[in-house]
Amino acid sequence: MREIDARGLACPAPVLQTKATLQEEHSGSVKVIVDNAASQQNVQRFLESQGFQTVLEQNSADYLVIGTCGDHQQPQAQPSVEEEADAKNIMVMCATDRMGFGDDELGLKLMVNFLRTLKEMGRELWRLVFVNNGVKLTIDGSEVLDDLKDFENKGYKILVCGTCLNHFNLLERKQVGETTNMLDIVTAMQVADKVINI
Amino acid sequence: MVFPTDENVIVGLDRADDAGVYKISDDLALIQTVDFFTPIVDDPYWFGQIAAANALSDVYAMGGIPKTAMNLVAFPVKQMDLSVLRQIIQGGIDKLAEAGVVLIGGHSIEDKELKYGLSVTGIVHPARVLAKKSLRPGDRLVLTKPLGTGIVNTAIKAGMASADLTDKVTRLMASLNRDAAGIMLRFDVHACTDITGFGLLGHLAEMVYGSGVSVRIFSDRMPMIPEALEFAAMGLLPAGAYKNKEFRESMIDFGHRVARSVQDVLFDPQTSGGLLISVGSDQSDALVKALSAAGISDTAKIGEVLEDPKEKIWVV
Repeated sequence: MREIDARGLACPAPVLQTKATLQEEHSGSVKVIVDNAASQQNVQRFLESQGFQTVLEQNSADYLVIGTCGDHQQPQAQPSVEEEADAKNIMVMCATDRMGFGDDELGLKLMVNFLRTLKEMGRELWRLVFVNNGVKLTIDGSEVLDDLKDFENKGYKILVCGTCLNHFNLLERKQVGETTNMLDIVTAMQVADKVINI
Repeated sequence: MVFPTDENVIVGLDRADDAGVYKISDDLALIQTVDFFTPIVDDPYWFGQIAAANALSDVYAMGGIPKTAMNLVAFPVKQMDLSVLRQIIQGGIDKLAEAGVVLIGGHSIEDKELKYGLSVTGIVHPARVLAKKSLRPGDRLVLTKPLGTGIVNTAIKAGMASADLTDKVTRLMASLNRDAAGIMLRFDVHACTDITGFGLLGHLAEMVYGSGVSVRIFSDRMPMIPEALEFAAMGLLPAGAYKNKEFRESMIDFGHRVARSVQDVLFDPQTSGGLLISVGSDQSDALVKALSAAGISDTAKIGEVLEDPKEKIWVV
């Protein structure tokens, strides 16, 4: 692994040093050491623009960026700006804890399956909102509680209707998500590109 | 800290607005501001112009008319030829003349590092002071200069900006906010600030914090220097952009389709940036039209004020 020590340098010097080193001798993996967070993020952006995958680390006063490049010969510029620009903000609103009408048992099974499969939407899934009977999916004993917690840990926002929790007397039992109000829900609907109602 | 005040202080330190405002009589108030910095461009004459345009901007952002100015100079007289200082001051004087402002004094000291700036005094009607936080729900937000000067300046330092781009950005930073301010005052404007070191989102956060409203920003309508997006993706961001982000992140919610390089430009510290104007929705189109007609061509409607007391900034 090629190591670049850019400590003691201010922006944009660490990026320039990394660039010069890679131009001189292309390496499939590189470790850049800087001494401040801004330089670390700049070097990360630079390496990513050159087709590297990056990991950030911190050892006491040293900030590290470790970059690896799958293709040793020809790094490709890959700012996925285009892709990101096309991504949508999708809001999923669950007003029930059962999917569809008919058999309740089947409805619950489908709902559990639906929420577990929802991660296939990827980063476009932006908000998950629970209202009315839907709030029962967010309390202790819910079959999908672990899945929802997993969502939340991954940075997806889960909003749970406070009025509904209150109505069912479940305020104390909610285990996941942020308690919300109608204003939040309406604003989120307006900001979202797509609202899916279940 | 408790800041001293008296009954004639209309805008003081406690409000942390663009400039201080002090009432002299029922129809006259003084606006006072000061700003100075280290060189941001290599050419001393342009540096002088930019420093003056930047210092004057705070008076325009308060809805006032600048009248007089004083120089602040720190100069390494042993290392640098005095002709450099002469060119800087000439740049300042020329920019002040363009604004109809007279230089009436100043002070200089010897210092290891060159610094230049000005203290500017202006006037305004006490009832027509344009504060930062008086946003009203339904207002539209209008920005009068494109973003990205901090990033481009970093790329210039890195030797990666073309001569054309360097020239374009230098002129942009040296351009006065006077015309934009003059036009703005003909409309139903409720609040205004100028975009400088905290970047668009930092200054917007100052407007929103304590205002009791939220705002939505349309990132796809934002006027931006196109090259700034490319340089941002390459990691040519000034450290200030990261500080701005860290400081205000909790107030801001980005939609997933807002690319990282766009977010970076929204936090980019600006030198002598444009005015950010909150105007009644029924007049916003007319304001943008009037600004564009006056040659302020990068003007755009970039957002709207929401009736939401959480004081959030939604960027979509």
